[in-house]
Amino acid sequence: MLDLDMTPYAAFVWPAWGVSALVLAALVARAVIASRRWKRELERLEADAPSKAVDAPRPQAAQSAVGQPESPQVARSAIGPQK
Amino acid sequence: MFGLSNPQRFMAFTGPLTPVLWAVAAVLLAVGTWLSFTVPADYQQGDTVRIMFVHVPAAVWGLGAYSALGVSSFFALVFRHALADAAARAAALPGAAFTALALFTGSLWGQPMWGTWWVWDARLTSVLVLFLFYLGYMALRASIDDEQKGARAAAVLGLVGLINLPIVKFSVDWWNTLHQPASFLTPGSSGLDTVYLPPFLTMLAAYGILFAALWLTAIRTEIRRRRVLTLRARQALEA
Repeated sequence: MLDLDMTPYAAFVWPAWGVSALVLAALVARAVIASRRWKRELERLEADAPSKAVDAPRPQAAQSAVGQPESPQVARSAIGPQK
Repeated sequence: MFGLSNPQRFMAFTGPLTPVLWAVAAVLLAVGTWLSFTVPADYQQGDTVRIMFVHVPAAVWGLGAYSALGVSSFFALVFRHALADAAARAAALPGAAFTALALFTGSLWGQPMWGTWWVWDARLTSVLVLFLFYLGYMALRASIDDEQKGARAAAVLGLVGLINLPIVKFSVDWWNTLHQPASFLTPGSSGLDTVYLPPFLTMLAAYGILFAALWLTAIRTEIRRRRVLTLRARQALEA
């Protein structure tokens, strides 16, 4: 049975749960917003220069730092089939 | 496991895993919250016992996040691995938030039970030091313009902070503290009443999986951010 009557400790229990919920929600919101922002920006850059982004050789250090583009198929499709 | 140190493989592996972690964390948080308000009040602590279900998980995963930060910093320093550096950076903010929550909720629990919001005992002080290590790590990274130098300096600080983890854990055994000793799964202790185990364990798992979801999402974001910076730099060179 749900018990929401915290008397006489309501002034301690509810702020503890409320602030925890707010902070966790803020962490989730920040993570999702940042994730979407950089994903969108990366897709835009790869669409702008698909051949360079996908095919151009990179220095070894840069490769290990950033890895390969996420979806080369999508990037290639943006410039059409290669002959 | 080491195969995942390749950013491309890491992105491929964590792509489908991350949404699952988000979903499991959401379900566990909902169930844990429900359970937390259905258990009876404690015969001594009254309803303040419900603070335990948000306080202890935050404290445990505040420590866990720092372990992740410290180990990742070690790999970043020794092997100069970019993904390890991204992992260290990604653990800092959720870890700091969890530790701040542990301090805040602990204070709210301490006032009605101990009669004080704060006391400079070994456990509370060492957790405050842990929080300051998190702040120092993030401030150091942000304060150095050269990202690589900032990452290296912060990694050294992250490693130094690992010394604090056993102090936090064993502070209640090494010193006489107002904070109670470990009472969960500790032989010889009075232990936690079994009626509180379901909400406690559910919330502990919920916070842990939520941290994993936040951490993986932040690492993936960091990998994308670095790719964007590399592409922008290349475009600037070619322009």
